[in-house]
Amino acid sequence: MKALLIVGSPKGKASTSYNLGRGLLGRLETGGMEVVETTVAAALRSSEERHRLYRAVDEADVIIVSFPLYVDQLPAPLIQALELLADRKRGAQGATPWAGPIAQRLVAIVQCGFPETLQTRPAVSIMRQFARETGFQWAGALALGMGGAVGRRSLEKAGGMLRNVVKALDAAAASLLSGGLVPEEAEALAAKPLMSRRLYGLVANWGFRSRLRKHGARKRAFDRPYAASGKGR
Amino acid sequence: MNVLILDGGPRDVRGAACRKIAAAAAAEARLKGHAVTAFELDALDIKPCRGCFACWLKHPGTCAIKDDQEQVLRAMAAGDLLVWITPLTFGGYSPVLKRSLDRSIPNILPFFTVRHAEVHHPPRYKKRLGLIVLGTLPAADPEAERIFHELVGRNALNLDSVLTESRVVHDGEEGGIAGRLKGLLQAAEAAI
Repeated sequence: MKALLIVGSPKGKASTSYNLGRGLLGRLETGGMEVVETTVAAALRSSEERHRLYRAVDEADVIIVSFPLYVDQLPAPLIQALELLADRKRGAQGATPWAGPIAQRLVAIVQCGFPETLQTRPAVSIMRQFARETGFQWAGALALGMGGAVGRRSLEKAGGMLRNVVKALDAAAASLLSGGLVPEEAEALAAKPLMSRRLYGLVANWGFRSRLRKHGARKRAFDRPYAASGKGR
Repeated sequence: MNVLILDGGPRDVRGAACRKIAAAAAAEARLKGHAVTAFELDALDIKPCRGCFACWLKHPGTCAIKDDQEQVLRAMAAGDLLVWITPLTFGGYSPVLKRSLDRSIPNILPFFTVRHAEVHHPPRYKKRLGLIVLGTLPAADPEAERIFHELVGRNALNLDSVLTESRVVHDGEEGGIAGRLKGLLQAAEAAI
């Protein structure tokens, strides 16, 4: 069996999305699956890369799409990539007809910087709708808030804070390896807050201020360059 | 009222319904005496967001990418009523509209604030804002439409919109859009 990871973050492999996606892919690889990974940015770079994505999708039994929440849903390039895949599968616009295996399972991993996992709901629904419209088998989603706390850190070495994420990946991988879907238990574990909302908010706001200071922009944080009166607060 | 219309339809035949609706919305708003700024987004050079957050942390309020999105950002900052038009794409927005929305984060602040019991980003430009999103779909699809309305609702929470409307227009219904827009504009005038 083959598994394909598509990373939907514009940051590609330097992203939280890759970290989480690779976490699942690595477990599938350990379980004996052949694995391939690509990024949306690479796939959209040229016609040749796009056809490489098509081939990878054709050959995959499990497709994992891992992405960050952008303005309440998928980042634009990922929507574009899904449209291309859908056009191809429908045979629309002169596209080559779909050649992939019949029951390809589609898994989404979605993470957002807000603490509430529920903010990822439309994104998960869009991925499920994509599966419905194109004939992929919807295999479920691991959706989590507080993505900023995951970052690129090692999931295994992060300890207690990410224990539920690690458990969710373990459970999802075990089920996918045996031909199943992402279990509800795994979805619930991934959705659990990594820390208290108050603490996350304090740390995040402190982090923003600290990075503004580092870039010498702390005093300009509230600038309004497009206000009718120009700059100012 | 400053009305900003973003037509997120593709420039090919698939965007025809969006173009009709955008033209009707602009005409109706002008008829009512509002200032209208309209963009056919697919005709502009707008590159995808790189996720660098320089617009929050390095040069607050301006994007690191220099392209046509700057004029859209400026119009967004001045807009009282935002009208987005898009073909429903798996229940969400088209990549064309979404590319511009992804690049709209310079107009919000990085910091977290709690609103409606959820964490959101405060707007950089404080004002009463309305949001109308019109989606096109060849034929009825209850699940796609449910997703669309939920998505608009979430966008409204993040924008802190004081008036939010979402409508789906199926093929053949574009002709009746002017009447529906009239009602939506009246509601916006009352709320904003």
